[in-house]
Amino acid sequence: MEKVLDRVQSFFLDMPVVEVMNPNVISVHPDRTLRQVKEILRIKRISGVPVVDSERKVVGIVSIEDIIKALEGGYIDEKVQDHMTKKVVCLKVTDTLKDIIETFERYSYGRFPVVDENNRLVGIITKNDVMMALLARLGLVYLHDERRKEVLESPDYFERSLITGESLDKSGADFFFPIDYYDINLAGIGASKLRQFLLSRGVDPETARRVAIATYEAETNVVIHSGSTGAIYCFVKPDRIFVRVEDTGKGIDNVELAMKEGYSTAPDYVRELGFGAGMGFTNMKRCSDNLMVVSKVGAGVVVEMEFRRDREGNK
Amino acid sequence: MKLTEILSELRAKVVANAQKVDQLEFERAAASDLMSEVLAIAKPDAILITGLCTPQVIRTADVVGIPAVVIVRRENVPAETIEMAESSGIVLAVTRMSMFEACGRLYAKGIRPIWEV
Repeated sequence: MEKVLDRVQSFFLDMPVVEVMNPNVISVHPDRTLRQVKEILRIKRISGVPVVDSERKVVGIVSIEDIIKALEGGYIDEKVQDHMTKKVVCLKVTDTLKDIIETFERYSYGRFPVVDENNRLVGIITKNDVMMALLARLGLVYLHDERRKEVLESPDYFERSLITGESLDKSGADFFFPIDYYDINLAGIGASKLRQFLLSRGVDPETARRVAIATYEAETNVVIHSGSTGAIYCFVKPDRIFVRVEDTGKGIDNVELAMKEGYSTAPDYVRELGFGAGMGFTNMKRCSDNLMVVSKVGAGVVVEMEFRRDREGNK
Repeated sequence: MKLTEILSELRAKVVANAQKVDQLEFERAAASDLMSEVLAIAKPDAILITGLCTPQVIRTADVVGIPAVVIVRRENVPAETIEMAESSGIVLAVTRMSMFEACGRLYAKGIRPIWEV
Protein backbone atom coordinates (compact mmCIF):
# COMPACT_ATOMS: atom_id res chain seq x y z
CA MET A 1 0.00 0.00 0.00
CA GLU A 2 2.81 2.34 0.92
CA LYS A 3 4.45 1.69 -2.41
CA VAL A 4 1.26 2.51 -4.28
CA LEU A 5 1.01 5.75 -2.30
CA ASP A 6 4.61 6.53 -3.15
CA ARG A 7 3.89 6.11 -6.81
CA VAL A 8 0.76 8.23 -6.73
CA GLN A 9 2.64 10.86 -4.77
CA SER A 10 5.41 11.06 -7.29
CA PHE A 11 2.84 11.31 -10.03
CA PHE A 12 1.23 14.35 -8.46
CA LEU A 13 3.64 15.90 -6.01
CA ASP A 14 6.43 16.28 -8.55
CA MET A 15 4.23 18.41 -10.76
CA PRO A 16 6.14 21.61 -11.53
CA VAL A 17 4.79 24.97 -10.42
CA VAL A 18 4.43 26.11 -14.02
CA GLU A 19 1.88 23.37 -14.57
CA VAL A 20 -0.20 24.60 -11.64
CA MET A 21 0.12 28.40 -11.74
CA ASN A 22 -2.01 30.83 -13.63
CA PRO A 23 0.42 32.69 -15.91
CA ASN A 24 -2.10 35.42 -16.75
CA VAL A 25 -1.48 37.21 -13.50
CA ILE A 26 -2.89 40.68 -12.92
CA SER A 27 -0.54 42.99 -11.04
CA VAL A 28 -0.41 46.68 -10.08
CA HIS A 29 2.30 49.29 -9.71
CA PRO A 30 3.06 50.77 -6.26
CA ASP A 31 1.98 54.28 -7.26
CA ARG A 32 -1.64 53.25 -7.98
CA THR A 33 -4.31 54.07 -5.42
CA LEU A 34 -6.10 51.51 -3.33
CA ARG A 35 -9.35 52.66 -4.95
CA GLN A 36 -7.98 51.63 -8.34
CA VAL A 37 -7.04 48.23 -6.90
CA LYS A 38 -10.55 47.88 -5.49
CA GLU A 39 -11.95 48.39 -9.02
CA ILE A 40 -9.55 45.85 -10.51
CA LEU A 41 -10.52 43.28 -7.88
CA ARG A 42 -14.22 43.96 -8.51
CA ILE A 43 -14.05 43.85 -12.31
CA LYS A 44 -11.72 40.86 -12.53
CA ARG A 45 -13.48 39.03 -9.67
CA ILE A 46 -10.25 38.27 -7.88
CA SER A 47 -9.29 38.64 -4.23
CA GLY A 48 -5.79 40.06 -4.38
CA VAL A 49 -3.00 41.33 -6.64
CA PRO A 50 0.80 41.32 -6.45
CA VAL A 51 2.49 44.72 -6.61
CA VAL A 52 5.43 44.96 -9.03
CA ASP A 53 8.01 47.62 -9.84
CA SER A 54 9.02 48.73 -13.33
CA GLU A 55 11.14 45.57 -13.77
CA ARG A 56 8.20 43.35 -12.79
CA LYS A 57 9.91 42.47 -9.54
CA VAL A 58 7.49 41.65 -6.75
CA VAL A 59 7.59 44.36 -4.07
CA GLY A 60 4.30 43.76 -2.30
CA ILE A 61 0.80 42.32 -2.35
CA VAL A 62 -2.65 43.80 -1.79
CA SER A 63 -5.62 41.66 -0.80
CA ILE A 64 -9.31 42.36 -0.47
CA GLU A 65 -8.74 42.54 3.27
CA ASP A 66 -6.41 45.52 2.79
CA ILE A 67 -9.11 47.20 0.72
CA ILE A 68 -11.76 46.69 3.42
CA LYS A 69 -9.39 48.17 6.01
CA ALA A 70 -8.73 51.13 3.71
CA LEU A 71 -12.46 51.75 3.29
CA GLU A 72 -13.02 51.58 7.03
CA GLY A 73 -9.96 53.69 7.78
CA GLY A 74 -10.81 56.28 5.14
CA TYR A 75 -7.55 55.99 3.21
CA ILE A 76 -8.86 54.31 0.06
CA ASP A 77 -7.45 57.10 -2.14
CA GLU A 78 -3.94 56.70 -0.81
CA LYS A 79 -1.20 54.92 -2.70
CA VAL A 80 -0.69 51.16 -2.77
CA GLN A 81 2.98 51.47 -1.75
CA ASP A 82 2.00 52.96 1.61
CA HIS A 83 -0.41 50.20 2.62
CA MET A 84 0.56 47.04 0.78
CA THR A 85 1.96 43.99 2.57
CA LYS A 86 5.66 44.27 1.85
CA LYS A 87 6.74 40.89 3.10
CA VAL A 88 5.49 38.67 0.32
CA VAL A 89 5.78 34.90 0.38
CA CYS A 90 6.52 33.81 -3.19
CA LEU A 91 6.88 30.46 -4.89
CA LYS A 92 9.74 29.85 -7.28
CA VAL A 93 9.39 28.49 -10.81
CA THR A 94 11.52 25.53 -9.77
CA ASP A 95 9.12 24.49 -6.97
CA THR A 96 6.79 21.52 -7.19
CA LEU A 97 3.23 20.84 -6.10
CA LYS A 98 4.67 19.48 -2.87
CA ASP A 99 6.22 22.89 -2.12
CA ILE A 100 2.95 24.59 -3.03
CA ILE A 101 0.96 22.46 -0.62
CA GLU A 102 3.52 23.00 2.15
CA THR A 103 3.44 26.76 1.55
CA PHE A 104 -0.35 26.82 1.76
CA GLU A 105 -0.13 24.84 5.01
CA ARG A 106 2.49 27.09 6.54
CA TYR A 107 0.92 30.45 5.69
CA SER A 108 -2.74 31.33 5.79
CA TYR A 109 -2.63 33.44 2.64
CA GLY A 110 -5.02 32.84 -0.21
CA ARG A 111 -2.54 33.33 -3.03
CA PHE A 112 1.17 33.14 -3.72
CA PRO A 113 2.93 34.95 -6.58
CA VAL A 114 5.35 32.81 -8.59
CA VAL A 115 8.69 34.43 -9.41
CA ASP A 116 11.67 33.53 -11.57
CA GLU A 117 15.27 33.50 -10.39
CA ASN A 118 15.40 37.32 -10.63
CA ASN A 119 12.33 37.72 -8.43
CA ARG A 120 10.26 38.74 -11.46
CA LEU A 121 6.57 37.90 -11.43
CA VAL A 122 5.64 35.04 -13.81
CA GLY A 123 2.37 33.74 -12.37
CA ILE A 124 0.12 33.30 -9.39
CA ILE A 125 -1.28 30.32 -7.52
CA THR A 126 -4.52 30.09 -5.57
CA LYS A 127 -6.10 26.97 -4.08
CA ASN A 128 -8.41 26.96 -7.08
CA ASP A 129 -5.41 26.68 -9.41
CA VAL A 130 -4.14 23.70 -7.42
CA MET A 131 -7.51 22.00 -7.71
CA MET A 132 -7.77 22.65 -11.44
CA ALA A 133 -4.24 21.37 -12.04
CA LEU A 134 -4.98 18.17 -10.13
CA LEU A 135 -8.16 17.63 -12.10
CA ALA A 136 -6.27 18.16 -15.35
CA ARG A 137 -3.70 15.58 -14.27
CA LEU A 138 -6.42 13.11 -13.36
CA GLY A 139 -7.94 13.67 -16.79
CA LEU A 140 -4.61 12.75 -18.30
CA VAL A 141 -4.57 9.49 -16.36
CA TYR A 142 -8.03 8.74 -17.63
CA LEU A 143 -7.06 9.57 -21.21
CA HIS A 144 -4.04 7.27 -20.89
CA ASP A 145 -6.38 4.49 -19.84
CA GLU A 146 -8.74 5.10 -22.73
CA ARG A 147 -5.93 5.01 -25.25
CA ARG A 148 -4.66 1.82 -23.75
CA LYS A 149 -8.08 0.27 -24.25
CA GLU A 150 -8.06 1.31 -27.87
CA VAL A 151 -4.74 -0.38 -28.50
CA LEU A 152 -5.70 -3.43 -26.52
CA GLU A 153 -8.71 -3.83 -28.77
CA SER A 154 -6.69 -3.39 -31.94
CA PRO A 155 -5.88 -6.90 -33.16
CA ASP A 156 -2.77 -5.88 -35.04
CA TYR A 157 -0.84 -4.65 -32.09
CA PHE A 158 -1.13 -7.49 -29.67
CA GLU A 159 -2.24 -10.46 -31.70
CA ARG A 160 0.41 -10.66 -34.36
CA SER A 161 3.95 -11.91 -34.04
CA LEU A 162 6.53 -9.19 -34.48
CA ILE A 163 9.13 -11.63 -35.73
CA THR A 164 7.16 -13.78 -38.12
CA GLY A 165 4.18 -11.54 -38.77
CA GLU A 166 1.89 -14.50 -38.23
CA SER A 167 -1.16 -14.09 -36.09
CA LEU A 168 -0.45 -15.39 -32.66
CA ASP A 169 -2.64 -17.87 -30.86
CA LYS A 170 -1.61 -17.02 -27.36
CA SER A 171 -4.08 -19.45 -25.86
CA GLY A 172 -1.97 -22.16 -27.46
CA ALA A 173 1.18 -21.09 -25.65
CA ASP A 174 3.09 -23.89 -23.96
CA PHE A 175 3.87 -21.65 -21.01
CA PHE A 176 1.98 -18.66 -19.71
CA PHE A 177 2.81 -16.46 -16.75
CA PRO A 178 0.87 -13.34 -15.80
CA ILE A 179 3.08 -10.54 -14.50
CA ASP A 180 0.34 -9.35 -12.22
CA TYR A 181 2.38 -7.79 -9.44
CA TYR A 182 4.07 -4.42 -8.99
CA ASP A 183 6.63 -5.38 -6.38
CA ILE A 184 10.15 -5.26 -7.79
CA ASN A 185 11.17 -7.80 -5.17
CA LEU A 186 9.09 -10.38 -7.00
CA ALA A 187 10.58 -9.67 -10.43
CA GLY A 188 11.98 -12.78 -12.03
CA ILE A 189 9.46 -15.27 -10.69
CA GLY A 190 8.12 -15.84 -14.18
CA ALA A 191 11.58 -16.32 -15.70
CA SER A 192 12.51 -18.72 -12.93
CA LYS A 193 9.33 -20.75 -13.50
CA LEU A 194 9.92 -20.70 -17.24
CA ARG A 195 13.39 -22.18 -16.76
CA GLN A 196 11.97 -24.98 -14.62
CA PHE A 197 9.30 -25.60 -17.23
CA LEU A 198 11.80 -25.78 -20.10
CA LEU A 199 14.03 -28.17 -18.16
CA SER A 200 11.02 -30.37 -17.44
CA ARG A 201 10.28 -30.42 -21.16
CA GLY A 202 13.73 -31.76 -21.84
CA VAL A 203 15.16 -28.53 -23.23
CA ASP A 204 18.95 -28.34 -23.08
CA PRO A 205 20.02 -26.59 -19.83
CA GLU A 206 22.13 -24.03 -21.71
CA THR A 207 19.20 -23.05 -23.92
CA ALA A 208 16.91 -22.92 -20.90
CA ARG A 209 19.41 -20.65 -19.24
CA ARG A 210 19.57 -18.26 -22.19
CA VAL A 211 15.79 -18.11 -22.35
CA ALA A 212 15.50 -17.55 -18.60
CA ILE A 213 18.08 -14.75 -18.50
CA ALA A 214 16.50 -12.86 -21.40
CA THR A 215 13.02 -13.37 -19.98
CA TYR A 216 14.19 -12.23 -16.55
CA GLU A 217 15.35 -8.92 -18.02
CA ALA A 218 12.12 -8.47 -19.95
CA GLU A 219 10.03 -9.32 -16.90
CA THR A 220 12.03 -6.90 -14.74
CA ASN A 221 11.43 -4.16 -17.31
CA VAL A 222 7.68 -4.71 -17.08
CA VAL A 223 7.77 -4.41 -13.30
CA ILE A 224 10.10 -1.41 -13.20
CA HIS A 225 8.94 0.65 -16.14
CA SER A 226 5.49 -0.26 -17.40
CA GLY A 227 3.48 0.81 -14.36
CA SER A 228 1.05 -1.89 -15.41
CA THR A 229 0.73 -5.63 -15.54
CA GLY A 230 1.95 -7.89 -18.30
CA ALA A 231 2.36 -11.47 -19.41
CA ILE A 232 4.98 -13.98 -20.52
CA TYR A 233 4.12 -16.46 -23.28
CA CYS A 234 6.44 -19.19 -24.40
CA PHE A 235 6.08 -21.51 -27.37
CA VAL A 236 8.35 -24.52 -27.51
CA LYS A 237 9.04 -25.79 -31.02
CA PRO A 238 11.38 -28.65 -31.98
CA ASP A 239 13.83 -26.25 -33.63
CA ARG A 240 13.30 -23.07 -31.63
CA ILE A 241 11.82 -21.48 -28.55
CA PHE A 242 9.78 -18.37 -28.87
CA VAL A 243 9.11 -15.98 -25.96
CA ARG A 244 6.85 -13.00 -25.94
CA VAL A 245 6.71 -10.60 -23.00
CA GLU A 246 4.13 -7.88 -23.22
CA ASP A 247 2.63 -5.20 -21.05
CA THR A 248 -0.04 -2.57 -21.44
CA GLY A 249 1.74 0.20 -19.62
CA LYS A 250 3.48 3.48 -20.31
CA GLY A 251 5.41 2.34 -23.34
CA ILE A 252 8.82 3.47 -24.52
CA ASP A 253 9.22 6.86 -26.11
CA ASN A 254 12.38 6.02 -28.02
CA VAL A 255 12.99 2.30 -28.44
CA GLU A 256 16.32 2.85 -30.17
CA LEU A 257 17.63 4.86 -27.26
CA ALA A 258 16.26 2.37 -24.71
CA MET A 259 18.13 -0.44 -26.47
CA LYS A 260 21.46 1.36 -26.08
CA GLU A 261 23.73 -0.20 -23.53
CA GLY A 262 24.04 1.90 -20.41
CA TYR A 263 20.94 3.95 -21.08
CA SER A 264 18.65 3.79 -18.09
CA THR A 265 15.65 5.58 -16.68
CA ALA A 266 15.35 3.34 -13.64
CA PRO A 267 14.70 5.00 -10.28
CA ASP A 268 17.17 4.68 -7.40
CA TYR A 269 15.29 2.02 -5.46
CA VAL A 270 15.61 -0.23 -8.49
CA ARG A 271 19.34 0.44 -8.77
CA GLU A 272 19.74 -0.48 -5.12
CA LEU A 273 18.46 -3.92 -6.03
CA GLY A 274 21.18 -4.35 -8.62
CA PHE A 275 19.14 -3.46 -11.66
CA GLY A 276 18.68 -0.38 -13.78
CA ALA A 277 22.20 -0.25 -15.19
CA GLY A 278 20.94 -0.09 -18.74
CA MET A 279 21.93 -3.65 -19.53
CA GLY A 280 18.49 -5.19 -19.92
CA PHE A 281 18.03 -5.01 -23.66
CA THR A 282 21.71 -5.77 -24.23
CA ASN A 283 21.35 -8.95 -22.21
CA MET A 284 18.21 -9.90 -24.11
CA LYS A 285 19.96 -9.32 -27.42
CA ARG A 286 22.97 -11.33 -26.34
CA CYS A 287 20.96 -14.31 -25.12
CA SER A 288 18.49 -14.54 -27.97
CA ASP A 289 18.97 -15.21 -31.67
CA ASN A 290 16.32 -12.76 -32.71
CA LEU A 291 14.89 -9.85 -30.73
CA MET A 292 12.07 -7.51 -31.66
CA VAL A 293 10.76 -4.69 -29.53
CA VAL A 294 7.73 -2.64 -30.43
CA SER A 295 6.23 0.08 -28.31
CA LYS A 296 3.86 2.96 -28.42
CA VAL A 297 3.83 5.57 -25.71
CA GLY A 298 0.81 4.93 -23.55
CA ALA A 299 0.13 1.59 -25.17
CA GLY A 300 2.66 -0.78 -23.71
CA VAL A 301 5.65 -2.72 -24.91
CA VAL A 302 5.91 -6.04 -26.73
CA VAL A 303 9.19 -7.91 -26.65
CA GLU A 304 9.62 -11.00 -28.78
CA MET A 305 12.61 -13.27 -28.67
CA GLU A 306 13.54 -16.32 -30.64
CA PHE A 307 16.02 -18.89 -29.40
CA ARG A 308 17.31 -21.43 -31.87
CA ARG A 309 17.79 -24.95 -30.60
CA ASP A 310 20.08 -26.31 -33.31
CA ARG A 311 23.13 -25.77 -31.14
CA GLU A 312 21.74 -27.95 -28.38
CA GLY A 313 23.74 -30.96 -27.42
CA ASN A 314 26.95 -29.95 -29.23
CA LYS A 315 28.46 -27.59 -26.72
CA MET B 1 38.35 -25.76 -4.38
CA LYS B 2 35.82 -27.32 -2.04
CA LEU B 3 33.00 -25.07 -0.91
CA THR B 4 33.79 -25.92 2.71
CA GLU B 5 37.32 -24.52 2.20
CA ILE B 6 35.99 -21.44 0.43
CA LEU B 7 33.58 -20.73 3.27
CA SER B 8 36.20 -21.18 5.97
CA GLU B 9 38.61 -18.94 4.03
CA LEU B 10 35.91 -16.27 3.99
CA ARG B 11 34.90 -16.98 7.58
CA ALA B 12 31.37 -17.27 6.25
CA LYS B 13 28.35 -18.65 8.06
CA VAL B 14 25.96 -20.84 6.07
CA VAL B 15 22.34 -19.73 6.36
CA ALA B 16 20.62 -21.93 3.78
CA ASN B 17 21.08 -25.46 2.44
CA ALA B 18 23.98 -26.33 4.74
CA GLN B 19 23.54 -30.00 3.85
CA LYS B 20 24.72 -29.30 0.30
CA VAL B 21 28.00 -27.61 1.24
CA ASP B 22 29.99 -30.84 1.20
CA GLN B 23 28.84 -31.71 -2.30
CA LEU B 24 30.04 -28.56 -4.06
CA GLU B 25 33.34 -27.46 -5.55
CA PHE B 26 34.23 -24.32 -7.47
CA GLU B 27 36.99 -23.29 -9.82
CA ARG B 28 35.56 -19.89 -10.67
CA ALA B 29 33.87 -17.00 -8.91
CA ALA B 30 31.82 -13.99 -9.99
CA ALA B 31 31.70 -10.88 -7.81
CA SER B 32 29.18 -8.15 -8.48
CA ASP B 33 26.49 -5.98 -6.98
CA LEU B 34 24.91 -5.53 -10.35
CA MET B 35 22.42 -8.28 -11.06
CA SER B 36 22.22 -7.44 -14.74
CA GLU B 37 25.96 -7.94 -14.90
CA VAL B 38 25.64 -11.32 -13.24
CA LEU B 39 22.99 -12.23 -15.81
CA ALA B 40 25.31 -11.05 -18.55
CA ILE B 41 28.55 -12.78 -17.63
CA ALA B 42 28.03 -15.43 -14.99
CA LYS B 43 28.50 -19.10 -15.70
CA PRO B 44 26.55 -21.89 -14.02
CA ASP B 45 29.61 -23.46 -12.44
CA ALA B 46 30.70 -20.34 -10.54
CA ILE B 47 30.12 -19.15 -7.00
CA LEU B 48 28.61 -15.68 -6.67
CA ILE B 49 29.99 -13.10 -4.25
CA THR B 50 27.83 -10.04 -3.75
CA GLY B 51 27.06 -7.22 -1.37
CA LEU B 52 23.35 -7.33 -2.11
CA CYS B 53 21.10 -9.37 0.14
CA THR B 54 17.68 -9.06 -1.47
CA PRO B 55 15.73 -12.08 -2.74
CA GLN B 56 16.63 -10.81 -6.19
CA VAL B 57 20.15 -12.14 -5.71
CA ILE B 58 18.83 -15.67 -5.24
CA ARG B 59 16.47 -15.40 -8.18
CA THR B 60 19.31 -14.19 -10.38
CA ALA B 61 21.52 -17.06 -9.22
CA ASP B 62 18.66 -19.46 -9.86
CA VAL B 63 18.08 -18.23 -13.39
CA VAL B 64 21.79 -18.38 -14.22
CA GLY B 65 22.18 -21.73 -12.49
CA ILE B 66 24.64 -20.62 -9.80
CA PRO B 67 24.63 -23.17 -6.96
CA ALA B 68 26.12 -21.05 -4.14
CA VAL B 69 26.06 -17.39 -3.09
CA VAL B 70 28.17 -15.60 -0.50
CA ILE B 71 26.92 -12.25 0.77
CA VAL B 72 29.72 -10.01 2.01
CA ARG B 73 29.95 -7.22 4.58
CA ARG B 74 26.93 -8.34 6.61
CA GLU B 75 26.08 -10.15 9.81
CA ASN B 76 22.63 -11.30 8.79
CA VAL B 77 20.52 -11.89 5.74
CA PRO B 78 16.80 -11.00 5.47
CA ALA B 79 14.54 -13.97 6.19
CA GLU B 80 12.85 -13.81 2.79
CA THR B 81 16.20 -14.14 1.05
CA ILE B 82 17.05 -17.18 3.17
CA GLU B 83 13.65 -18.71 2.48
CA MET B 84 14.08 -18.24 -1.23
CA ALA B 85 17.55 -19.80 -1.14
CA GLU B 86 16.14 -22.78 0.76
CA SER B 87 13.37 -23.32 -1.74
CA SER B 88 15.64 -22.88 -4.78
CA GLY B 89 18.21 -25.29 -3.40
CA ILE B 90 20.96 -22.66 -3.45
CA VAL B 91 23.62 -22.63 -0.74
CA LEU B 92 23.64 -19.20 0.91
CA ALA B 93 26.39 -17.96 3.21
CA VAL B 94 27.17 -14.61 4.81
CA THR B 95 30.44 -13.03 5.95
CA ARG B 96 31.46 -9.76 7.55
CA MET B 97 34.45 -9.61 5.24
CA SER B 98 34.50 -6.90 2.56
CA MET B 99 34.08 -7.74 -1.10
CA PHE B 100 37.69 -6.78 -1.78
CA GLU B 101 39.15 -9.00 0.90
CA ALA B 102 36.87 -11.92 0.08
CA CYS B 103 37.84 -11.80 -3.59
CA GLY B 104 41.51 -11.29 -2.82
CA ARG B 105 41.63 -14.28 -0.50
CA LEU B 106 39.92 -16.60 -2.99
CA TYR B 107 42.06 -15.39 -5.86
CA ALA B 108 45.19 -16.06 -3.82
CA LYS B 109 43.89 -19.59 -3.24
CA GLY B 110 43.61 -20.18 -6.97
CA ILE B 111 39.96 -19.41 -7.67
CA ARG B 112 39.75 -17.98 -11.20
CA PRO B 113 37.54 -15.24 -12.59
CA ILE B 114 34.60 -16.30 -14.75
CA TRP B 115 35.90 -14.07 -17.45
CA GLU B 116 39.63 -14.00 -18.01
CA VAL B 117 41.35 -11.41 -20.15
